[in-house]
Amino acid sequence: MVIGHLRRAYSSFAAHVFDIPPRLMAFLFLMILLLVPATGLGPYYLSIVIYANVVAILAASWDLLVGRTGQISLGHAIFFGIGGYSSALLFKYYALPIWVTIPIAVVIGSLAALLLGFPCLRVKGPYLALVTMAFPLIISSAVNWSPVVDISGGEFGIRGLPGFFPFLPILQQRAAEYYLTLVLLFVSSVLIYKTANSKTGIVFMSILDDELASKACGINVTRYKLLSFMISGLFGTLAGCVQAHLLKVANPPMFELTISFLPIIVTFLGGIGTIYGPIVGAYIYAILDRYVLTDLLPRILRDNFQVMFLPSGYNFAKLLVFTLIVLILVIKWPRGVSRFTTDKLEDLEEARDLDERGPRIWKRYKKRKSSTAT
Amino acid sequence: MIYGAISGGLYALLALGFTLIYGVSGLVNLAHGSFYMLGTYMFVFFGTFGFFVPDPMLASILALIVAVIVVGAVASITYRLTIHPVIGDEVAVLVVTVCLAIIFQQLMLLWFGASFPRVSWPAGSVLLESTSIMGVTLEYSRIFAFVFSLVLFASLLVFVTKTKIGKAMRAVSQDREVAMLMGINTERLYMLTMFLSAVLAALAGILITTSIEKFAGPWLWLQPLALSFSIVILGGLGSIKGSLLGGFIIAFAEKTVEIMVPEGGGIVGVVPLAVIIVVLIVRPKGLFGKRVEMEE
Repeated sequence: MVIGHLRRAYSSFAAHVFDIPPRLMAFLFLMILLLVPATGLGPYYLSIVIYANVVAILAASWDLLVGRTGQISLGHAIFFGIGGYSSALLFKYYALPIWVTIPIAVVIGSLAALLLGFPCLRVKGPYLALVTMAFPLIISSAVNWSPVVDISGGEFGIRGLPGFFPFLPILQQRAAEYYLTLVLLFVSSVLIYKTANSKTGIVFMSILDDELASKACGINVTRYKLLSFMISGLFGTLAGCVQAHLLKVANPPMFELTISFLPIIVTFLGGIGTIYGPIVGAYIYAILDRYVLTDLLPRILRDNFQVMFLPSGYNFAKLLVFTLIVLILVIKWPRGVSRFTTDKLEDLEEARDLDERGPRIWKRYKKRKSSTAT
Repeated sequence: MIYGAISGGLYALLALGFTLIYGVSGLVNLAHGSFYMLGTYMFVFFGTFGFFVPDPMLASILALIVAVIVVGAVASITYRLTIHPVIGDEVAVLVVTVCLAIIFQQLMLLWFGASFPRVSWPAGSVLLESTSIMGVTLEYSRIFAFVFSLVLFASLLVFVTKTKIGKAMRAVSQDREVAMLMGINTERLYMLTMFLSAVLAALAGILITTSIEKFAGPWLWLQPLALSFSIVILGGLGSIKGSLLGGFIIAFAEKTVEIMVPEGGGIVGVVPLAVIIVVLIVRPKGLFGKRVEMEE
């Protein structure tokens, strides 16, 4: 009984203390992220967070298409690869500077999305998922096809792309790249958020909820689906070109299925259909995969257990452990980690008898979840 | 042409498992290709085991049976543990099955290393010899695989149409809730279907690797997955006849491209995918696609 009282007291306290407006929360989050390079991290650790930012852009673009419009795509690698390759080809053949190639590549990417959207959107549900999965596989085989190897660079891809800030020393270069990707992430998140909460976004949501009903309301469903495809392709391409210039190479692995699955895993980890989900998921992914399993665990093994040389299977086991963790997380919290936290906050709000705030996109999902449980 | 027909039968077998599990439980199983891969690995593993049988041919047939059953059991257990909790949510199912596929790949990498073990029938067996039919040299292993796949197909059709479990499967695919009301244990049925579909994938894996590919590898789940995708889409999801026809169409298209474009070794893998895109533009539901029900 005492515990019950304590818990109620705590929840009412927490509901008052954690009642921060979302905008302020986003601002605070951004501030924290802005301070990351000031903590004195080395170039390697900075490259981890840079990678997290790029993945977050990709995942956010995927989330717009899938989490908010309901068009399941298993082939987001195609935008990633198109971005990388088009900016690389523009550099290779026209020697354009980096600030020109990226916008052109983004435009190319969204046009490609429009083109791909026409055949893709004739199909629905699982068919759509399977068809979108086919495109990157086709292109990655086409890149290796012998007649075009001279242009595309074949298996090795196009190397020697310029970096973003070649004139700075390595640490400052990483920090500058970090700020660049962070700004890009912030801008694209805000744009996606604004799109999702605009009238267009509401139409997207109606397509997610019930395509037939929105058709019956006189919405040109195909047009809005194409629009969603295009916007999503735009940001996916952006992530691709940034990644290509960060790694200074555009190669066939950019079209690989793992890249297609990456935004899915990341968004799902974070929480699908939210704006912070992809970001949180991307950071979890990058830290877990690139820091904990690649750097921290071997170091702990070395320092505390005198394991000097990791067994040869360690790299295989790394991915295994990572996938297992993802699997368990997905089964345990099918609505994403960040949604789990926001749900807790919302429960606190409900404890205060407040009205629900903001659009509850995934209400339908929640309902379905509870109906399957019973 | 004959090579095309043979691989067509095998591809159809591979796609059949995929379409079966989709038809019954609406599950898009991205781990289907990894059951193919697991099948070949288990065949290699149990092939070296020997089973204390003097005749190597008999031993490898025993290995085939055991491998297939093991893969089926693994599939149904993983279904129960991982896919079952999230079923009903399409995206979660995709994530989980992708994770499963990667986990199987990494497990096989850890177990067998990054090498490509050779998969074939034991030396000296009659299946390694070849004959010529209508001027085409054919190994017996290919003929065996072809006949075996056709027999399996026929028996599966009979199983689905005639037996009680098959009827239950069709009932569940038509309307899950009504089938539940009629007293069908849908959970057990899903597990059974998963078992069956994994068995089919593993069989297809063993037959394809012993007769055509000759090698197993931990990354060999992607190609079969793409293949079964395209076949299933071509034939329509959940349609058994469709997957048979789709398998043959894809296999013939592949062989045709192989003959017509001599320099394009790498382009062959693209063919199935290109075919499905063309088909989907013309007929969005696939050639034999219906809404949900599984036909005959």
